[in-house]
Amino acid sequence: MAFLEIQHASKLFAETAAVQDFDLAIERGELVSFLGPSGCGKTTTLRMVAGFEQPTTGRIELDGVDITNMPPSKRNVGMVFQAYALFPNMTVGDNVGFGLRVNKRPKEEIDQRVQEMLSLIKMPELGKRYPYQLSGGQQQRVALARALAIKPQVLLLDEPLSALDAKIRVELRYEIRRIQQELGITTIYVTHDQEEALALSDRVVVMSAGHMEQVGKPWEIYNYPTTEFVAGFVGTLNQLRSRVVNAQVGELDYHGQRFKVSGELPAGETVIAMLRPEQLRMGVHPGENQLTGKLISLAFLGAIVRMGVELGEAVVTLDALNERRLALPKVGEPLTISFPPHAAWVMPVD
Amino acid sequence: MKKKRAPVWVWLIFLLGMAYFFIPLLSTFEFSLRMIKGTYSFEAYRVAFSDPAFYKNFGYSLLWAMLTIIISSIMVVWTAYWVQLRLRRIRPVVEFVTLMPFVVPAVVLTFGLVRMYGRPPLLLTPTPIPLIAGYVVLSFPYMYRAVDAGLRSIDIHTLTEAAQSLGASWGTILFRVIFPNLRGAILSGVFLTFAIVMGEFTFASLLYWPAFGPYIEEIGSMRAYTPQALSLVSFLLTFLSISAIQWFGRGSREQQAQVAGAH
Repeated sequence: MAFLEIQHASKLFAETAAVQDFDLAIERGELVSFLGPSGCGKTTTLRMVAGFEQPTTGRIELDGVDITNMPPSKRNVGMVFQAYALFPNMTVGDNVGFGLRVNKRPKEEIDQRVQEMLSLIKMPELGKRYPYQLSGGQQQRVALARALAIKPQVLLLDEPLSALDAKIRVELRYEIRRIQQELGITTIYVTHDQEEALALSDRVVVMSAGHMEQVGKPWEIYNYPTTEFVAGFVGTLNQLRSRVVNAQVGELDYHGQRFKVSGELPAGETVIAMLRPEQLRMGVHPGENQLTGKLISLAFLGAIVRMGVELGEAVVTLDALNERRLALPKVGEPLTISFPPHAAWVMPVD
Repeated sequence: MKKKRAPVWVWLIFLLGMAYFFIPLLSTFEFSLRMIKGTYSFEAYRVAFSDPAFYKNFGYSLLWAMLTIIISSIMVVWTAYWVQLRLRRIRPVVEFVTLMPFVVPAVVLTFGLVRMYGRPPLLLTPTPIPLIAGYVVLSFPYMYRAVDAGLRSIDIHTLTEAAQSLGASWGTILFRVIFPNLRGAILSGVFLTFAIVMGEFTFASLLYWPAFGPYIEEIGSMRAYTPQALSLVSFLLTFLSISAIQWFGRGSREQQAQVAGAH
């Protein structure tokens, strides 16, 4: 039996279904991300686990105990909010110790735990400061320490890094993962940032319009998306609407250019071939598929060079790793791209 | 960077405004010093402060103000908090109700109270309950607006949820999280209420309860200089209340400005 189970949970707001039939089992110590665009139901699901929303149908169990109708204050669930939510009238130390004071723990225990938590977030000297004297990143660290101080059974993070600038966001992302692994705490992390979800999680739940689209390890989600939505939402994706020439050998035709894909082809005369930009290569490579188009854009992004190649009705994106001796074609010139058959996968046309 | 100087016309308007406010006060003050003919003295103030009736009426007004503040604070803070947290759709209704003293004149409110509670089965006029109830209603626009502005300046939804997730009960959330963060706003309402109740005339006079307002009016009909001195005392109370609002509000404004800057 899993540590946290969300069993067929649905949430209706008036007539609108925010979450539909959400069913997930999370193991002890696992970090699971809910990933999806705004309004997909990921925060509502998290809030149902926290107790701030009641599921319209379904059930939530934590360590074998039904917590579906338990008030948030009784759940022993720590939560970190996007807006930090530190109490402005309290010092950092008082914020971190708030949950322990509310639970009437002895003063010595509170002081010791506060110091432990401040050391964990690498801010041992800042206990006497007020939230307004801290940067955004520091405030979010304190919010994390405050949520962890009560030794919650589950840690819930609701887009905790969204309000921070890019550099701090990346730093804090790894900090959260380090702390989560150090404490071995079961964690749910809500985000709309795919990179964040892929970098942090043991498993990712991709959501769309209140549904679970796919659940899997980050590399599974990225490399083996099971729905068109997941394929399009996670990472950049080229989609080539192609005609099936020979289903047995996986041969397709795209605007008069033929190529092969490995694996089984879905039924139908027309399919969509999917290709990640980093799996495409410039030039002709023996043994690989080749498609020729016209280079229409070229952007230098530091580690990679991103090219747009006009190919039939689509503009195919190709990412080349930056090398000092990389010979870049000129915009407007024809460009051949290559890819091995196993790099492409195929989905039926809706 | 060199500071830009304000143009002359700005100063002119400022001085005109100051003259409009302060000339009547200075005139009243000057007049209150002329009780003894041919010389300036504080005789009017001495007479005013040596009258036992002054202390009695002032004391009663203080008592009414304290009771009003306690009842109004509890009612308004709870209501405004709950409206902001869970009942946003009824905000217009609550705002309308709190504006009642601006819409219905005090005389009408008082007669309403007398008609309703001046005879059985709810005979309350021999007690100060209708008076305090009237003052509480009178304080609504000031107290509600101050507290509501304070509540809007903090994210009470997230603060409440953060406290709940840490195991806090509603009482703990209100007294340890919400109230301390509304200190400036609540005190603004408190001091405005205090200033209004201390100078209120209609309710106290028509319900026959001793208070500072009717006392000044009564003295004014009998004496010339003492009422001027008492008017200035009344003004001083208002001035001190407003200063207190500024003083207590200063800390929270600084805090908010710095929080905004930290993001």
